[in-house]
Amino acid sequence: MTTLQIAVIGVLGLIGIGLYGLLIARNLIKVIVALQVLVKGALLALVAAGLASGKLNLGQSLAVMVIVVDTVVAVIGLALALQVKRRMGTLDIKDLSTLKK
Amino acid sequence: MSFLFAALTVAMLLCAFLAFRARHLIVSALWLAGCSAILSILMYLLGAYWIAVIELSVGAGLVTVLFVFAISIAGDESAEFRSSIPRPIALIISLVSIILLGFMTISSLIALPPATEATFSEVLWQQRGLDMLVQSGLLFAAVVGILGLLSEAKVPVEEKKTAPAKELQAGRPVVKPATAAAREAKA
Amino acid sequence: MIQALILLTMGLPWLGGLAVWLTTNKHPRAQHTLAVVFAVATGSAALLLLPYASATPAIVIPLGGLFGDLTFTPDGLSVFLAIIATVVGSLAVIFSVNYMHGDKQLGRYYELVLLFIGAMAGLALTGSLLFLFVFWEVTAFCSFALIAFNNDDPKAVAGGIKALIITSLGGVGLLSGALIIYAQTGSYQIAAFLERAETLPKEVLALVAFGFLIAAAAKSAQFPFQTWLPDAMEAPTPVSALIHAATMVNAGVYLLARFFPAFEGVAGWTTAVMIVGLLSALLAGLMALVATDLKRALAYSTVSQLGYMVYAIGAGGVYASQFHLLSHAVFKALLFLAAGAVIHGVGTRDMRQMGGLGSRMPFTRTVFVIGALALAGIPIFNGFWSKELILEAGLHEGSLWAYGVAFFCAGLTALYTLRMVYLVFFGKPRSHLHAHDAQPAMKVSLGLLALGSVTTWLLAGPLSELLKSTLPFHEFHELRTGGMIQEVITQPATLAALAVIVAGGLLWWQRQRLTGLTRMLQGLARMATNSFGFEAINRGVIRVTQSTAEALRVTQTGLLSWNVAGIAIGLIVVLILLAWGK
Repeated sequence: MTTLQIAVIGVLGLIGIGLYGLLIARNLIKVIVALQVLVKGALLALVAAGLASGKLNLGQSLAVMVIVVDTVVAVIGLALALQVKRRMGTLDIKDLSTLKK
Repeated sequence: MSFLFAALTVAMLLCAFLAFRARHLIVSALWLAGCSAILSILMYLLGAYWIAVIELSVGAGLVTVLFVFAISIAGDESAEFRSSIPRPIALIISLVSIILLGFMTISSLIALPPATEATFSEVLWQQRGLDMLVQSGLLFAAVVGILGLLSEAKVPVEEKKTAPAKELQAGRPVVKPATAAAREAKA
Repeated sequence: MIQALILLTMGLPWLGGLAVWLTTNKHPRAQHTLAVVFAVATGSAALLLLPYASATPAIVIPLGGLFGDLTFTPDGLSVFLAIIATVVGSLAVIFSVNYMHGDKQLGRYYELVLLFIGAMAGLALTGSLLFLFVFWEVTAFCSFALIAFNNDDPKAVAGGIKALIITSLGGVGLLSGALIIYAQTGSYQIAAFLERAETLPKEVLALVAFGFLIAAAAKSAQFPFQTWLPDAMEAPTPVSALIHAATMVNAGVYLLARFFPAFEGVAGWTTAVMIVGLLSALLAGLMALVATDLKRALAYSTVSQLGYMVYAIGAGGVYASQFHLLSHAVFKALLFLAAGAVIHGVGTRDMRQMGGLGSRMPFTRTVFVIGALALAGIPIFNGFWSKELILEAGLHEGSLWAYGVAFFCAGLTALYTLRMVYLVFFGKPRSHLHAHDAQPAMKVSLGLLALGSVTTWLLAGPLSELLKSTLPFHEFHELRTGGMIQEVITQPATLAALAVIVAGGLLWWQRQRLTGLTRMLQGLARMATNSFGFEAINRGVIRVTQSTAEALRVTQTGLLSWNVAGIAIGLIVVLILLAWGK
């Protein structure tokens, strides 16, 4: 097995764990953690794809974009979670849903 | 080399799994930082030096600090809830998607010889110049987010059950028969 | 120069709307003045466009590959419709000074009216299909917001939503047609499409043609979408005159006329257009005969007259349809505004409570009668000439049965018009209503429109010249005003049509003696009152939609986990499809 193939397996593992976490998590901050794991998979995938196509620098440039967006998402997500906690007094997403009531 | 790489990958996945499994949010954030750090080593080994450094500083550093900060304010809710989706279904969904992804990628994966490519800074600033512009715009969103994190406005905790019902009542159009009739006559 | 004028025609009303908004409702007098000044300036700018009419785009703004160029082409059809929109618009705004006097939310009213005038001018002048759609939807929005202007009245809100839904449905037809054209020709330019229409595959062209027919029928309240227009009468009356009689509802006719050369060859299209027009004319005429609400009766007659125009296009008489559009815009705006003066004076819309108002509001009576005579098609008034041209076009090109129906509708028009005039202004008063005549600003609008109703037919020659010289893809015969007079008068068909119109009038005159006939037609009248079951169909559609939505609520849990699961399942489906393709 080459390092590239191992890296792709790592990508799949990260995406799988991230997706599973996103599906299962009920704590809003846990949801953001799962999202981070999912995006780390995407980062590694970009680098691996850059390597596979011989355009590593392009892959890195795109990964920079992903990192920036991901950080902003984390900041805003955490800010929202904090405000939700302040206003509603809970982080449980089941309590936050107001549809169907 | 290959063995080291494989071991690190396994360690990274383990960190990610533990980050998700941890009972305390703060522990979860620390495992995430570990996952991020190992990821940056992997990237370094793959030859992506720039992104490895950025990931180490931003992913493992900044984001972890943010998490710890947020959790310390929000309080560590450690209680585990039963998930609203049955776990087997979640497992099947995520497994099926990664198996399909793997089926489509691994089979066709051949490493090309590195083509003669422009340097990283050239690619970043010239080819992807638009991305950088967008990123500078995103910084404003980040500023809004930071303000949200830091704002200390005292908001009374609303009663959970009654709040939506009240909104619904207020949102319903209030019909005033007398004025409506007058308007109708005029129109 | 021409660029500046086009920008002024569209920009001035929007600027005016902004100015009215900035004035705030605390200064109603300033708001009235600003609205009138901007509306009149817009009308003047549009009139100044007339000498510059040409087939070449005057403004081209490149917007990249995805949206194509935003072009403005001041050709005959465009300038003509823009002038109608802005001039009738300014008259309606002048009328509003009295009509909306003392309203609490004057700002909102004028903003929307001015926004509408600008969007309508844009709709007429743009040469890009995509922006045609954009302006189309802006006018639909203004129409909705103005119908629901009295938003504490549930009937008004319901009427507004109905209009919005039905016209948006038509918008889908327009958008899909535009996208198909873009996919086929790689351009949104109307001129480019008309030039290459012959080379497109037949099925594609047919799809576009019928998509546009749906759009036009929904916008112009034609069969089977006619039900929204009567309910739109909850709007303030100047709005009804402007949007629902003189301008926006003409957009559908304009669309059909503009694309006629491209769709002419599509099998069955012209027949379908004729049938849509005739059915609208006939059904709406019957409904107008039994309506008791003054504004609803006028609305039905609008549908009926629009049906005439659509029929004319189906029969190939694009010029006749445009000429009738001009006449109709003038006399129907006059009728609506006069009806507004009546309603403003007496405070009710129910014709059964009116009667004998003529002696107490002589000015309103005079102008209403002028408009009614034009609507009925009595000689010398503009409606007569344009209706004769339509009937003539139908006789020459269309089939005989279609001509027969149109012929019958002419008599029907005379009948319901006479009934309306009689019920409102003549006979004995049926209730003690306090009435006052039109106020000064109203008189200005009404007087100008009445003058127009008597004189606009003199423009037949210039209009023909304008259309002929600037529309390279249409075929127009040379027609001078003198020639038209001679042609119409010497036609034997004219005499027949006049006879039918007079017969329609006599029928109302002698209604006491014809009780047997009226009793025979009781069933028909009952059907007409129930709008021939179309309302029931509408209600059925609404019920089905609502129950489906209610049933689908189960899927919307609002839980993040299930939403993510939906995304993941979508991903899996995409991946399976991709793997399949491999």
